Amino acid sequence: MMRFILRRLAQVPATLLAIYTLTVLLAWAVPGNPLENPEGPQPPPEAVEAMKARYNLDSTWRFYWSYLDGASGVGSLRDAIAGRDRPGPVFDLGPSLQYRDQTVGGIISQSLPVSVSVGAAAILIALVLGLAAGISGALRPGGWLDQLTLSFAMLGVSIPAFVVGTVLLMVAASWLGLGIVGKWGTPEGLLFPALTLGMPYAAYVARLSREGMIEALASDYVRTARAKGLSPVRVVMVHALRNALLPVVTFLGPACAGAMTGSFVVESIFALPGLGQHFVAAVQNKDLFLIIGVVMTFSTMLVLFNLAVDVMYRWIDPRTVRE
Amino acid sequence: MKRLLAPLMVLILLAASALVADRPLPRADLVILNRGEVSTLDATQMSWLQDFRVAVMLFDGLTRYDLDSPDLAPIPALASSWESSPDATTYTFHLRDARWSNGDPITSHDFIYSWRRSLLPENAADYAKLFQLIKGGKEFYTWRSSALAEFTASGSSDRDAAARVLWDRTLAEFDRVVGLHTPDDRTLIVELERPTPYFLDVVSFVAFAPQHPASIRAHERLDPRTGAMTTSPGWTQPGTLITSGAFTLETWRFKRDMRLARNPNYWDASSISIRSIAIPVIADANAQVLASRSGAVDWTSDITPGYRGELVKLKTRFDAEHAAEIARLAAAGLSQSQIDEQLPDDPRNRVHAFPSFGTYFYNFNCRPSLAGGLPNPFADARVRRAFAMCVDKAALTGSIRRIGEPPAGSFIPPRSIARYPAPDGLPFEPGGARALLQQAGYPAGKGLPTIELLYNSEGEHDQIAQAIAKTWERELGVEVRLIRKEVRTFREDVKSGRFMISRASWFGDYGDPTTFLDTCRTGDGNNDRGYSSPEYDNLLDAASRELDPSRRFELLSRAESLLVEQDLPLLPLFHYSQLYMYDPRRVKGVSAHPRQVQYLHRLRLEGSP
Repeated sequence: MMRFILRRLAQVPATLLAIYTLTVLLAWAVPGNPLENPEGPQPPPEAVEAMKARYNLDSTWRFYWSYLDGASGVGSLRDAIAGRDRPGPVFDLGPSLQYRDQTVGGIISQSLPVSVSVGAAAILIALVLGLAAGISGALRPGGWLDQLTLSFAMLGVSIPAFVVGTVLLMVAASWLGLGIVGKWGTPEGLLFPALTLGMPYAAYVARLSREGMIEALASDYVRTARAKGLSPVRVVMVHALRNALLPVVTFLGPACAGAMTGSFVVESIFALPGLGQHFVAAVQNKDLFLIIGVVMTFSTMLVLFNLAVDVMYRWIDPRTVRE
Repeated sequence: MKRLLAPLMVLILLAASALVADRPLPRADLVILNRGEVSTLDATQMSWLQDFRVAVMLFDGLTRYDLDSPDLAPIPALASSWESSPDATTYTFHLRDARWSNGDPITSHDFIYSWRRSLLPENAADYAKLFQLIKGGKEFYTWRSSALAEFTASGSSDRDAAARVLWDRTLAEFDRVVGLHTPDDRTLIVELERPTPYFLDVVSFVAFAPQHPASIRAHERLDPRTGAMTTSPGWTQPGTLITSGAFTLETWRFKRDMRLARNPNYWDASSISIRSIAIPVIADANAQVLASRSGAVDWTSDITPGYRGELVKLKTRFDAEHAAEIARLAAAGLSQSQIDEQLPDDPRNRVHAFPSFGTYFYNFNCRPSLAGGLPNPFADARVRRAFAMCVDKAALTGSIRRIGEPPAGSFIPPRSIARYPAPDGLPFEPGGARALLQQAGYPAGKGLPTIELLYNSEGEHDQIAQAIAKTWERELGVEVRLIRKEVRTFREDVKSGRFMISRASWFGDYGDPTTFLDTCRTGDGNNDRGYSSPEYDNLLDAASRELDPSRRFELLSRAESLLVEQDLPLLPLFHYSQLYMYDPRRVKGVSAHPRQVQYLHRLRLEGSP
């Protein structure tokens, strides 16, 4: 197992490098100059040129290497060996061009924990609701419970987050008397955004686990287990569930990465200080360093969660170890 | 199966960590909602109103504005007194015994250090031009620009050492050419390029406040490739930012909130009664209004929900009910905000629309030909004037903006600068416009190409452009194509002159007409119109030599009437209003002055929120 993990980890840098290259090329193609104000007073042209040179924005190639040098920590290492002192962090993700007092590293380290918390809570909610709905429906396919859970799942997939979020906001404010906007750090400030974010995931989990469970319950080994006289609960929860979970686990990798890197919609509705808003704002502002920073954060998380999924596969189903 | 519990436990821990790590702070004395997140607290880098609004609480300059006087007269701040030469070219400031928030004395050298930062081209200060009022400022700026370009191109081997040498030369050059002198730690002498009667107003602008040299130097580094002195962000964070003003930065959580605490070392600490200020960031317009209504927020800077027109209408109705009292208070010399404080308590009296120092206008491209070498009909001033006379501005503000903004005849908002006589501008007169077009060789619009109107996709620009285009098509017989672009692309097009007519706005920075008029000078960096008129430039030059204030304003007013009545490189549409939300029974001392300066830390709070 350890060797498997190490081998997979060794592939991560190559994957990330490919994503980085593509991101730089695409972000570079976005029109507009991040150093100029969209409105109001403009810095003199000489100053814009000097700034461009300072951030290496005058050459794609130089930007590509200097950013890689700083972000990978190679630059710090080189300076440390040469005995030069270098201000700033070891992994230097660069400054934000729009918010000049912030570093990209600082922005991500402040907002990622928020998104991870909300995302984790959302995935928890999705698992609890989704599995309960999916399994109970699968026990009697076509029954009223199945119909009910299926329609809820359909709603969960098709109603967009800004509707769910706004409805929850109104429910919380007018029925429960809770002001939940900008209440990050309180239980209700976590619960409502997590519910909004988790609903579509719950719907997917319900559908995936239902399919998996129906298939598992019809298989030979479950019939054997039943024939042995095991209790129905044990048959479903231990024997069938293990296989029924496999598609859910596959889905969880990208789902966790998606949920834990924040959602623009949920963050703007509940005024959450998360990472999702930066995906949109950075592109609008052509904030090159921030675009690369958030894309690389998302990619890293996606790669790591997919690795975690593969590890879990092997735990649940040892057959996959055979290669 | 137990193995499955491990990832679940991880998820639960991650979700719960937020509740443990992030406890909300108690309510501050004053809670304000700013427009968006502060982008920087480095005065050299600022250009947004929301940044200035916070900066004035943290930094004092030599002088500050007296918000109660009609022309925002400068009053002593870090300088306890000053004198100027009769020709207004030399100012001598005497500093008081004031200290930084860490206890260091504030000296005249701190000003030199800070102003030099604004004059270094590598810092790309948006207000570098204001610092070039200082004698030799422009010369130094140009010298350093070319020295840096030369350095980057040169192939010297030990670049670290060479950058150091260039830096030392730069410091010497600055001392040699720039007219700033410090005879002692408490005296600052400023020599100006030419007579600048509004220099004290400029100096009161927070971009001229000093910064704490030692804490910035710790973040400075010479870039061996370009030779530039770069400053890494970090010195403006809580714990490292040293301030000279009434408050210090206690916490700053990006896109979340900022908290300020009273600075015990502030020279004027006894006049500050507010102990703590919180500035949360709420992006959603509706949530802002809700937060304001619930009392969680004391003062909101810009209210932008779709129903803001209705809020203003309710306030107008409330004012109409108390018309007699308002007239009586106004006759007694009270300002609009002071009157609101005297009126009876009413939920409608929470919205306050005050005039501002900004104008919404359209640029005409005045260059001889358009991008791509096509002939430009707007190079002819008669065509520009014809289009300008064919806009029903009152209809725009009345039915689209709907927050009571005044239609604009002039570029500079009237009454924003005391004693400045603003020109009236052109009336709405389609008949006269058609006659002008005929004179220019386009009878009933024939011969004109399709007119392109460029604007950015954010905000209400769409509706305004549609209304104007419709009037032009109806009255002038022209065909108008609307071009809507994302703001950065829009900006590129405007800057490189790829437009016929484009949307624009301008807010003044200091209390002199030149803060608007300079943007139409030949070759000015903000002259997006490509307008070039020797007559206009001559009037501005004559004004800059004129020492008599009223004759000077007369010259400037003549220049402005050239802009808005004759040449029309720009078409003023309306003057912005600033919409604040606060309870005037509790929050007192808000300024209604069109210059939009607020010292929120000096507000007087009564009762509980």
